[in-house]
Formats: sequence, structure tokens, C-alpha cells
Amino acid sequence: MKLIDLPLASAARIATLDVDAALARRLRAVGVFEDEAVVVLRRAAFGGPLHVRTSSGGEFALDRRIASAIEVLPALDDTAEAAE
Amino acid sequence: MAAQLSGQPGEIAVDVALLGRPNAGKSSLYNAVTGGDAKVGNFPGITVDVLEASAPLPDGGRARFLDLPGVYSLGDDVDPDSDEGQARACIERLEKRSEPFVIAQVLDATQLVLGLRLTRELLGKRWPTLLLVTQRDVLEKSGARVDTELLAKELGVRVLAVSARDADVRERVLRVAADLAKDGLPRAEAREFDPHALAERATKRTRPATDATARADAVLLHPLLGPVVFLAIMTALFSAVFLVADPASSALDLLLSRLSARIVSTFGASWLTSLVCDGILGGAGTVLAFLPQIVILTLALEVIDASGYLARGAFLVDRLLRLAGLGGKSFVPLLTAHACAVPAIASTRIVRDPKQRLRTLLVLPLMTCSARIPTYGLLIAAFFRHRSALFQAALFVCLYSAGILAGFLASLVIGKTMERRGPKALPLVLEMPAYRIPQLRVVLRMGWRACARFVREVGTVIVIASVGLWMLMKIPTPGAPHDPQHSVAAAIGHGLEPVTKPLGFDWRINVGLIGSFGARELMVSTLGVTYGVEQDGKKENVGPLAERIGSDPAYDAATALALMAFFVLACQCMSTVAALRRETKGWRVPAFVLAYTYAAAYVAALLVHQIARAV
Repeated sequence: MKLIDLPLASAARIATLDVDAALARRLRAVGVFEDEAVVVLRRAAFGGPLHVRTSSGGEFALDRRIASAIEVLPALDDTAEAAE
Repeated sequence: MAAQLSGQPGEIAVDVALLGRPNAGKSSLYNAVTGGDAKVGNFPGITVDVLEASAPLPDGGRARFLDLPGVYSLGDDVDPDSDEGQARACIERLEKRSEPFVIAQVLDATQLVLGLRLTRELLGKRWPTLLLVTQRDVLEKSGARVDTELLAKELGVRVLAVSARDADVRERVLRVAADLAKDGLPRAEAREFDPHALAERATKRTRPATDATARADAVLLHPLLGPVVFLAIMTALFSAVFLVADPASSALDLLLSRLSARIVSTFGASWLTSLVCDGILGGAGTVLAFLPQIVILTLALEVIDASGYLARGAFLVDRLLRLAGLGGKSFVPLLTAHACAVPAIASTRIVRDPKQRLRTLLVLPLMTCSARIPTYGLLIAAFFRHRSALFQAALFVCLYSAGILAGFLASLVIGKTMERRGPKALPLVLEMPAYRIPQLRVVLRMGWRACARFVREVGTVIVIASVGLWMLMKIPTPGAPHDPQHSVAAAIGHGLEPVTKPLGFDWRINVGLIGSFGARELMVSTLGVTYGVEQDGKKENVGPLAERIGSDPAYDAATALALMAFFVLACQCMSTVAALRRETKGWRVPAFVLAYTYAAAYVAALLVHQIARAV
């Protein structure tokens, strides 16, 4: 499942970043990396960016293009561990 | 160019470079430790991207603190012109010199994992390293604390938990810097560790967390409510500049005209009283009366910046700005440009996409900077005084909106002519920081700085220009009678009339336009001087400038609107031109900006004047 399709407030784990190498390095540096738990807090109107929170305590605005390129594994336990 | 590492080397015992992720709290800490007397790059000729200031060490000697722009990673390859590139270039320079230095990583205690990921890279560099864990107070309020001893043991470097708001933060940081210098600045060792696991072990939770940021975002980023609140904040900001500051400004203006009248009645009319009253008070003094507006605007923007709302604004407008080929990150320089374009030009470095950055640079000068306020304020006071305060404030907000709309359109048009090839625009990746209550002390200091800068500019550039103009108004052209209508200044102004007549501008406005080519404030000072000199020797009580202009039969509301339209668009600011040249390392961008903004200004003023006349 892609991050962009993840329902709001449900927990998932980042599996892969299917973007070019430079952007992947950038995302990892900023705080969006493999194995992080992630939850989508909201989507901006009119196809704007996604607001996500990761288990590192970071919150990010991510463009939809990026969100469509991030593969996530929905957590089996739906207690939104990322939002701890 | 980054910090010059200036100062007397003998005095500086150690350089402490504050490194960390953006928004980790480096600058707050820097200001708290050094007293915040940093050189800020907001005047032509000096670019200071890395701030530096020194503080005395307890054992003698001084430590020089360098406040670097935020970096996410030391491995990630970045554009050397970007803010991250500047920070790394500065560290490289420190490394190459033989002077002692320490890299003090500033970590946000509330995002320890992210900070520790950078720490892992930093330790691998084997520089003398110190960790400063900030936001201790915020973490403690949320019911947790950081175990610095554990971190120090695991990482092999000194760790200090601080808050920039602590009374003793300066003393503690300087003590550690002195200790490190005494120990010969031991180098860090590379260590492999799991940031998640270490952060979990080092953060001791005492009670469950509460999340004020999530609650605030539920409203401020609500799909419907969020944009409404955003628009309301922006409207409130720009109308407050008018509504709150205008009474103070009017009072100052009245005070100045009374002072002039008193000087004339006490010392009699002479060339000296004319110089003081018409040249200095009438010119520079009239501009100075707009100080309240500048201060209010600076304070409000500073509060928005310090609260964390800027990132929310970027989130909300990203989609909209993308329509014009800009992006969420352009929002920060575009909003900053409403105070002054010069620092905004430097802040475009956060826009990582080169095309977006270029477009942002090209349209920045269209944002309504504070230097336009005196002209707008004067024209509104002169021609719309009989309308309600609300109408006047609305007109003010319209002028701000016109600047934003013009920028949006200009970016669209520029985009059409830009090269289509090349990589697609870089997508938005933006950190959304937690909200914080702005520190009153810091906000007031920024207000004070804006105040000092404005007074300094009025006291130097504008006084000199006013006195120069006063002389040109006093000197008649050869063979002409001795009156202002036949002065050298008038001759220059009359010379431009064929071009500006269709806009409704006469020789006096033309002289102002020539003056304001250098700086916009000179429009108001020029009108102050010309009206003052023309009034010379006349008996009637001289009122505030706005009243005199408003009752002048040569002008009407159409002239005022045309002049406003001209000011919305024209890049009348040499500091902006110089900053653009410096930032783009060439004349192409500034020349293009001058050409297109002046052409657009002329056409807009022409249309507005003709339409307003017809209506």
C-alpha cells in the first residue's frame, strides 16, 4: 500500500522509498526513513500535501507525489503506535 | 559568503559552532549565550549567513559562537548555495584553520531520535564535539526528562540539557566551553548505535504526554477552517499595521508640523529655519512618523515566525503556490518580504528547487515591503481621510493583496517564458515544528532592531537626500526668478512630465519618483521638502503634509490611486537590486526585475489613472 492511500489516523510502517536516490537521501536525512512507524494526520485541500507524524516525534508536510512513492505496511494492531 | 571569522584572534580561546537540525533551537540558544548582539545581514554590502558573536569565558579569554543554518545530515550532498551548504562550508573552514574549535550539536529534546541520527554522523567526523539538548523545559512540561549522563556515557562526549529560557543557560554553556578548552578539546570517536533505542532509554517519562500542537493543528489545519483562519490572520496582520499604528503616526506627524511652526515663529523665517523645517523635519521627519507601522509589522511577523505558524502557512498554500510555479517553501521568503525584501532574498536559500527559487527571487520585490507604507499611509491620509477608518484599512489590505496577486501573475507569466526542459519541480518535504509561545524578550528585541534600523536609515540616507533636494529646490535655473517653481529640482521634474502626464503625475511627484528609485521612503520625504519650500514665506498656519497634499488642486484621488499602483509594482529599492545581484552572482536577474517591474508599474498606473478619471 502507498502512503497516499493510507486512511487518516491509522498506523503503518514505512517499507520502501521508491524515489530517486537523491530524494531518498533527503527524505532519510529529514526524518522519513524505512522501518519508521507513520500516521497520516491530515491532507491539505485541493490535492495539497499530506501532514504525517513519525515515531521519531517528527511531523512533516509531504507532497502527494512523494506520498505516492512511499510503500507502507499497515500495522496489524490499529492502535496508532506512531501517534504515541 | 558565510562568516568571515573576523575579530582579534588573540582574544578568542575557542570557536563554538552551533550545529543542528533546522528549528532545533540553535538561534535561541545563541542569543541567550551571546546576548544576541549578532550581526544581521539586512543592509547592502554585507551578507552574514552564519551569525557570530563572542562571550567571555569564566577563566578568561572569549568563546566565539557561530550560529549555523540548520542541517539535516552531514552526508547528504547539498547545493553549496543553499542554507545547508553555507553551514557545511563554514565547518570546513573551521577545520582547515589551526585555531581550536568545537562543534556543539543542538538537539531538540522533544525529537531526540532525529537529533541522534545527526549525532551518529557527527561523531564519525571525529571533531571535538559537545551536545546541547535544548527544549528541556518543553519536554519537562510534557512530563519527561532526558538522562544526559546516559547519553554522555553512550556517546563519549559532554552532554548538557538546557533551555534557552533558563536564567543560568549562558553561565552553564560557557562553563562547559571553558572546560573543554582546558581539556585540550578532545575529539569525538565514531560510534554505531540505534538512535531509536538510545533515545528511548535516555528519555524518562514521568507522566503521560499531552499534545497541544495536535489540538491546535486540528483547528489551524482543518480542511475548511484552516484556510479561513489563515486568510483572517493575514488580513488582521495587514490591517493592524494600518489601524493600530495610524493614530500614533498621525500624532507624530502633527507634532512635527507644530514643531516646525514653533521654530519659524521663534527664530523667524530664514534659510536656516527653512533648512531645518522644510529640509530635515519636512523631509526625513515625515518619513520618521511611519515608525509605528514598521514596528507593528515587525512584531507581528516575528510572532508568526516564532510560534511555528509559518510551516502551517506553507502547508496550506503549497498547492496554490504550485499553480504559479512556486511552492510551499517559497511562502517563507514571500511573507518575510512583507517586512523587507533584502533578508527575504537571502531566505530563498531554503527553496531547494532551483527554478522555484529563481521565480521566488523574481517576484519577491512585488510583495508590499514596509518601505511602501509611508507612501501608502500619506496618500490614504491625504485623499481618503474623509472615509471611515475601516474603509482606509480595507484600502490598505487591498494594496497588500494587489502586491501578492501581482507576484502570483508575474510568476505565471515568467514560467511561460522559462525553459521547460530540466528536471521536474522538487516535491515538498517540510518539517512541521511544534507550536511554541514566542518569547516576549526575543520578539521585542526584533522590534527594537527594526526600529533602530529605520531610524538609522532616516537619520542618514533620507536626511542627506532631503537636504540635497532642499538645495535643488532653492537653487534657481540660470536666469530664472528665485522661486521653487523655477528651481533646478522643478526643471528636472518638468523634464519628465511628457512621460508621466498620462499617469497624472506632475513635476513634484516626478522628483519624488527619481528620489525613490534609490529607496521608496524618499517619495514621502521629497513631497515633504517640496511642499515645505513652496510654503516658505507664506503666512498661513502650516498643517500636516497629508492635509496640504489633500487640499492641493493639482491632485485628486485618481492621482493617488495611480501613484499607489506604481508603488505596488515598481522595484524602487537599490538595496533589493544589490541583494539580488549578490544572491544570483550577476546582473541579469536584477536588471530583469528592474525592467519588468517598472514597465508593469507604468502600465498599471496609466490604466488606473485613466479608469479612475473616467469613473
